Amino acid sequence: MLTAHALTKRYGDRTVVTDLSFTVRPGTVTGFLGPNGAGKSTTLRMLLGLDAPTRGHATVAGRSYAAHPAPLTEVGALLEARSVHPGRTAYHHLRALAHTHGIPRTRVEQVLGLTGLTDVAHRRVKGFSLGMGQRLGIAAALLGDPATLILDEPVNGLDPEGVLWIRTLLKSLAAEGRTVLVSSHLMSEMALTAEHLVIIGRGRLLADTTVTDFVRHSGAGATKVATPDATALAGLLTAPGVDITSDTPGTLQVRGTDAEHIGRTAAAHGIPLYELTPGTASLEEAFMDLTRDAVEYPATLQGAAA
Amino acid sequence: MTTAPHPYRVTPLRVLRSEWHKFRTLRSTWITLAVTSALTTAMGAGLAAAYDGTGEGSMDTVLFVLLGTQFAQINLGVLGILATAGEYSTGQIRATMTAVPRRLPVLFSKAAVLAAVALPLTLATNLLTFPLAQSFLTGTDQAASFGDPGVLRALAGNAAGLTLLAVLALGIGALVRSVPMAIGVFIGIVMILPEVLAVLPYALVDDAARYFPGKALEALTTAQPMPGTAAPGAALLAMALWTTAVLTLASAVLRRRDV
Repeated sequence: MLTAHALTKRYGDRTVVTDLSFTVRPGTVTGFLGPNGAGKSTTLRMLLGLDAPTRGHATVAGRSYAAHPAPLTEVGALLEARSVHPGRTAYHHLRALAHTHGIPRTRVEQVLGLTGLTDVAHRRVKGFSLGMGQRLGIAAALLGDPATLILDEPVNGLDPEGVLWIRTLLKSLAAEGRTVLVSSHLMSEMALTAEHLVIIGRGRLLADTTVTDFVRHSGAGATKVATPDATALAGLLTAPGVDITSDTPGTLQVRGTDAEHIGRTAAAHGIPLYELTPGTASLEEAFMDLTRDAVEYPATLQGAAA
Repeated sequence: MTTAPHPYRVTPLRVLRSEWHKFRTLRSTWITLAVTSALTTAMGAGLAAAYDGTGEGSMDTVLFVLLGTQFAQINLGVLGILATAGEYSTGQIRATMTAVPRRLPVLFSKAAVLAAVALPLTLATNLLTFPLAQSFLTGTDQAASFGDPGVLRALAGNAAGLTLLAVLALGIGALVRSVPMAIGVFIGIVMILPEVLAVLPYALVDDAARYFPGKALEALTTAQPMPGTAAPGAALLAMALWTTAVLTLASAVLRRRDV
């Protein structure tokens, strides 16, 4: 279990992370979200003891990362920035890391196989593509067979095939019962892989929630219906896969079916409709709404929504 | 996922093994070491072959034969700097410090590995270069043999000095964290500053300058102590203190600063 206790990080007079507390529960994939510059990488570096917090502290399974006798078996980390000497081969990079813990060569070969790097293991990292570099980073993270994995923007800059590989990997790691904390600035990516969300902006906690709750409250994909006969219409629309909520009397938020079906159903039963608005807000937009005030460098012109 | 407790843990000996593995698996390591050795030997033999029996008469014979170690100073210094500052420029340091978050064993292991390689290499190079160069110097005023007073001590003293200097550079690399800047500091402070100080017309500065690493190494390399230089024992002690001081400072910084 990873815990941040009131973490604050200041560089000179710039405060990057402010009083940030959250817990990553074991056995889940937790998405760590925030716009670029929100303090995600700094927070992850503090969890790993690479950066010392100005105030507060971070713990891994109850104590600081550095206090563990075999840290690589507690947490495996893929940091955003490359952390490999380009002149060394993938195999020797992993061997050198393995030596610090007495991890045998067989495990090095195993993680090379798991990440599909066996064929290039004896090539120098210098010639690796971004995707191969990410795979090597993940191989290093898996070296100690850790219960917890921290992955900082693992899909950044990857081609579609690489993105798919990371998604599948995250799911299989979670299925093995591992705790995964994965950072991203893309909500859509997290919605596909994470169950839990920790959202930060400008170094502050904005939301600590589940993906399901976030989707429910975001209004993403919901069709808004205003009718004097809300209860009757809700009853008629109820079906498997259809989710109906009501914020105020006389309005319904309907998910899982479209405006055409709602309109036809209402007409067939003579129910008047005052408003029928197909939901256009995506998860991404909901995330942007939440973080709008917390974007480091907001664009002055709001571009067309994706 | 294994459920049994891991037998793995970080120990100082394992960190040492890891650093040795890192050191030996870079091509640049072996190129630098080979060039260092070859330059020293080639320059010793070349200068001796070209020696016409005049001009350098005032120079100590071991110092003369080992003039090529001037390059060795820089080469081995750069090797030390690459071991520490090089990890920051490549990003490797993040992987290293995540594996060994206590940090200090990494610095000490790097220093130990470098010393363990540099000392035997420079000693062997010196013991090879001296007789090779001497084969061209028979009959000149630079002729000498292993048996002459101070010769073996100077050959070994030079190797010890070069090793300490390389470890000192490694410490500078850990402090400065940038390869070009560390090389600048190393060459500026170790090689140029004492030369500048020695020219200043103050006796006290002149006395102090002879205990600077570059000057102390020169004193260590002479078979017959020259006037105005430190005694060999004092020179070796001075170099050891310089290196210890820089490593101590580097440890303090490494513990406290963000990676």
